[in-house]
Amino acid sequence: MIKTIQKSTWIYIAVAFMLVLLPFFKDERWFLFLMIQVFTFGIFAMSYDLLLGYTGIVSFGHAMFFGLGAYSIGITLNFLESTFMNLFLGILLALVLGGIVAFFAGILTLRLKSHYYAMLTLALASLFLVLAEKWRSVTRGSDGFTFRIPELPGPLQDHRNLVVYMFCLVSMVLIFFGLRRLTESPLGKILVAIRENEGRVESLGFRIMPYKVIISVVSGVVASFAGVLYAISIRFVGTNVFGIDVTLDALLMTIIGGVGTLVGPIIGAGIIEFAHHYLSDLSDVHWIFERWIILFGIVYILAVIFFPAGIVGTLWHKLAKRKHKKQEMKQKTSDKLAS
Amino acid sequence: MDLFLNLAINGIATGMLIFLIACGLTLIFGLMDVLNFAHGGLFAWGAFVGVWAYGITQSFILSMLAAVIAGLLLGLITEYLIIKPVYGNHIQQILITLGFMLVLSELIKVVFGPNILAASKPPYLDGSWEFGDVTVIKYRALIIVVGLLLFLVIMAVLKFTKIGLIVRAGVMNKEMVQALGINIRLVFIGVFMVGSALAALGGALFAPSSGVAYAEMGMEFGIFAFIVVIIGGMGSVPGSLVAALLVGLSNGFMAYYYSDLAMAVTMILMFIVLIFRPEGLFRVSGVSNK
Repeated sequence: MIKTIQKSTWIYIAVAFMLVLLPFFKDERWFLFLMIQVFTFGIFAMSYDLLLGYTGIVSFGHAMFFGLGAYSIGITLNFLESTFMNLFLGILLALVLGGIVAFFAGILTLRLKSHYYAMLTLALASLFLVLAEKWRSVTRGSDGFTFRIPELPGPLQDHRNLVVYMFCLVSMVLIFFGLRRLTESPLGKILVAIRENEGRVESLGFRIMPYKVIISVVSGVVASFAGVLYAISIRFVGTNVFGIDVTLDALLMTIIGGVGTLVGPIIGAGIIEFAHHYLSDLSDVHWIFERWIILFGIVYILAVIFFPAGIVGTLWHKLAKRKHKKQEMKQKTSDKLAS
Repeated sequence: MDLFLNLAINGIATGMLIFLIACGLTLIFGLMDVLNFAHGGLFAWGAFVGVWAYGITQSFILSMLAAVIAGLLLGLITEYLIIKPVYGNHIQQILITLGFMLVLSELIKVVFGPNILAASKPPYLDGSWEFGDVTVIKYRALIIVVGLLLFLVIMAVLKFTKIGLIVRAGVMNKEMVQALGINIRLVFIGVFMVGSALAALGGALFAPSSGVAYAEMGMEFGIFAFIVVIIGGMGSVPGSLVAALLVGLSNGFMAYYYSDLAMAVTMILMFIVLIFRPEGLFRVSGVSNK
């Protein structure tokens, strides 16, 4: 049984275990908060990778799922009593809403060229942003609103941040393994085939639309869950969750970390979140750091042109090459011996 | 009646501005299969350059000219730096142009300062004409006239000149045009620059009418332009005019009666088109959307 588990799985489990222990060594508030951000955006970026990396679908409105999740949980806990039952209800609402929106966006545009999905999601996200600003009685407009999360029993309440940290970490690890299982399943293989050559998959007798819609729904649901975690961790929801920069963050994390690798987006999330943190400190040094979107935009453009595989993708490539060379060497020496 | 006409004129003027962005977008797409998400950024740049030039020269014509020149240059830079390196790779093109869009709108804040700029009309275009009980705001009439003129010029160039013939043939089948010994890339750069200049001119026209220029307007109008291109059909110039007027009018009327629903109505229009006629109202043969 144990032998069938991949070697990389043990590495991931070891890293996850270290992350569990991390807050006991470094428990400053800002650090815990930053790590929680890394986990939530890691989940968000993984959901983006499912589309961009595994299926070749570009979404420019991924923020709408994130925002839907955040608003669902916020509104549920704000209007209803703050109990665990309602927390659960809010999460369920977020997942269902995310799935429904992703389904309709998918069936409308996924039969067309990839441009259409990008345009439609961009427009839909801006529609949700307007909705959040205008539907003031529920969303409090651009002011946003704070809400309370249910109180934890007994001594746990004093370590609330730690509990949220663990919850986000466990969610991320579970989602990571779940999605990896999905991408290694026959369904995942078909998705990769669609990315590589749509016409060929179609001529092999597969209907492409259902696969694309399924993955867009899965991605929407996961992204919505990331929004839920984000809202829970800051206990506040504002219209910024629908902003284009949320989508851009996911894009950057996925591309810098490595498209189509799942672990890449998590690493990307770590890099971007920590870069955000330290760059905003630098704004006293030079004004250009206040306009960090420019820096990120330029890094992003350069990454798309020169570094399309990302960090993890490039590493995997190198490893594969080395393995290949080793095998070649072995082959040669055995050939020599044979002759 | 008065209200109806005023709203209609208002909507048509907005539609004309959207058309100026959309027609470049649609031609670029038809020719090279490139969807330029940075196109809206040129609209915002046009607005800022126009306001800045008007502040210096106090001449409306010169400010429009400055915006057009800025658009041509930015179009050339965009094509050379952003589109060319990822030529032929769809996903990379979509990704990179969105990144450039953000850089363009942030650069505006660096060059012109982070604040909203106030824009003013020249005195001879301020005010309105009265026909009985109908008041026509002069500046809006100017936008409509300019938009219509440009549409006619674009159509005439496409229909009656050799360059137009090459462009139209390129939209239908670029490999064939290339095979006939025409450097399609050069044609493409030209169309890209002209399309960018049209978007910039649209921005320069828009700023005095709304009274302000702000960096986010690029994204706002860019999204409208995408919707228009989807409704009108990729690659079709008349299609984008009709769709732009449709979107402008529905937006104008809804903004008056239920302003919160204005955006939603535009989206519903797009959904209907996507469900029943995904290739758009005006299909151009040779441009596939699959």
